[in-house]
Amino acid sequence: MLVLMEIWESIRDFVATGGDVLYVVAIALFLMWVLMIERYWFLLGEFPKMQKEIVAKWDARQDTTSWYAHRIREAWISEASEKLDERMLIIKTLVAMCPLIGLLGTVTGMITVFETMATQGTGNARMMASGISMATVPTMAGMVAALSGVFFSTRLEARAKMAKEKLVDSLPHH
Amino acid sequence: MKKLFKGFAVAAALSVSAGAALNAHANTQELDKILEQVKQQRISEGKLNKAREQEFLSAKADKQALYNKAKRDFAAEQARGEALKKQFAQNEITLAEKETALENAKGTLGEMFGVVRRSASEAIGSIEASIVSAEKPGRAEVLRSLAAAKELPTVRELEELWIAFQTEMTESAKVSKFQAEVAELSGEVKTKEITRVGNFNLVTKDGYVYYSAETKSIQPLGKQPDGYVLDTVTALINAPAGQVTPFYLDPTRGAILRLNTQRATTEERWHQGDTVGYIITALLVVGALIALVRFLDLMLVTAKIRSQMKNINTPNTNNPLGRILKVYHDNKNQDVENLELKLDEAILRETPRIDAGINIIKILAAIAPLLGLLGTVVGMIMTFESITLFGTGDPKIMAGNISLALVTTALGLIAALPLILLHAIVSGRSKAVLHILDEQSAGIIASHAEKERA
Repeated sequence: MLVLMEIWESIRDFVATGGDVLYVVAIALFLMWVLMIERYWFLLGEFPKMQKEIVAKWDARQDTTSWYAHRIREAWISEASEKLDERMLIIKTLVAMCPLIGLLGTVTGMITVFETMATQGTGNARMMASGISMATVPTMAGMVAALSGVFFSTRLEARAKMAKEKLVDSLPHH
Repeated sequence: MKKLFKGFAVAAALSVSAGAALNAHANTQELDKILEQVKQQRISEGKLNKAREQEFLSAKADKQALYNKAKRDFAAEQARGEALKKQFAQNEITLAEKETALENAKGTLGEMFGVVRRSASEAIGSIEASIVSAEKPGRAEVLRSLAAAKELPTVRELEELWIAFQTEMTESAKVSKFQAEVAELSGEVKTKEITRVGNFNLVTKDGYVYYSAETKSIQPLGKQPDGYVLDTVTALINAPAGQVTPFYLDPTRGAILRLNTQRATTEERWHQGDTVGYIITALLVVGALIALVRFLDLMLVTAKIRSQMKNINTPNTNNPLGRILKVYHDNKNQDVENLELKLDEAILRETPRIDAGINIIKILAAIAPLLGLLGTVVGMIMTFESITLFGTGDPKIMAGNISLALVTTALGLIAALPLILLHAIVSGRSKAVLHILDEQSAGIIASHAEKERA
């Protein structure tokens, strides 16, 4: 409990130095990871069942070479790949957005710096420092968030592609 | 005078003789008469002069007497001066003696009076600026006379200093209400009930006010703080005596509140973006509207396609899949290749309507940060312009243009981020529909045909 409270306090301090943009980064990061975990769960838990069903249905067919059979096979593959690619675009977009949100934080932080300069002059470096930390911390947070997403989203994409190819391979014309 | 007269007489004689020379037969009797006259006049002149001389002589004697008297006076005064000088020197010595006596008598008290004077003059500033002076004016006058006094303060004056300090101290612990005149922002002066919180803040029912020491008047802030802060003000004013109520207090006695009025609100910041900022906002609104319309349209199309999938036998022309199915129903008896060509044609007809407008969202999302960059560059150009005009001495002059530069960048990003996300969502939807039409419609038709044949 004490450890949790300490963690919470350090997070609060971090948000206080970084400004409100950090909340946006946090929302983007949270969404990204929820979607990615859901995708992993689908890939590892749901998709193998789906694949089995499709392969069983295909194997049960007598006719696998006619025009109709080809179209039906294509439709099944399309349905499966649509399930596989669902929400992947949003994940990729979120990954790309994270550094942009960081950049937004930089700009708002710089606005704060110049605002203090406009009202206080350049005499007080400490007052400007709070704006500068508001400029740099979200940039870093955005970068870290994007980096955490880049690796896993790329892996996820490659896995989905492989799963689709495996499905195509397991539907032979016999 | 005498000389002039003589000269006149000679001249007259000459002119007479000249006249006599010119007029050979002039009347000599007339000339004799004139001569007689001149002679007589000389005698009377002489008498007159004698009398005047006599007069001058007598006056001279008088003056001499006066002169002698003045001389005597002078000597007397000089003697008095000497005596006074001596007395003065004597007084000086006495004075010095007395002063040393006074110094000895004062002893360490002299230090204390110095301290009193200094602390009195120091207290003037803080007591005049203190908001307690809004309720109890005129407390600084006695301190001012104490600080300026050359002579030693009396016990009573010393007590005044003591009282001044203690009043300030006890008042700083009180929350009190009083009536006072407030110079409103509109210029009119109103009498209002003012609540004073210690010597920190003054509040009225309309929010925080501050006490200006220069004009000795109570003025409202140019801009009140945020609503949740003001709520505690009303809570404080309405709170009965003795109740504890939370209140946002400015411990700097109003300095932070006044700084707060200089801070730009979100709306003011948005206006700092100027034309470029408005254009970016317009882009965001247009992009979001397009995305909303397209999203709703695609949702509707998807729902219709889903219901059509359940009911393949009766193609409904209100949805793309239905129109494709209708092509199949119309060409049921044609051979497979012909049918495929017809289906492809029908699918191609549907696709542009499905991904209409989606690229526009993408383009708007790409333009927004670029416009922000344009604003940045414009702002920087203006900054350098002001540097050429005014130099780099005052950062406050440059700050305005720099804020334009930064606000537009921020606005560009703020507009781009949701547009990118919206584009991802809408284009995901449209891709799903296109997949159904492109890749699955033929399969749906094929399995339907198989069932029909079986």
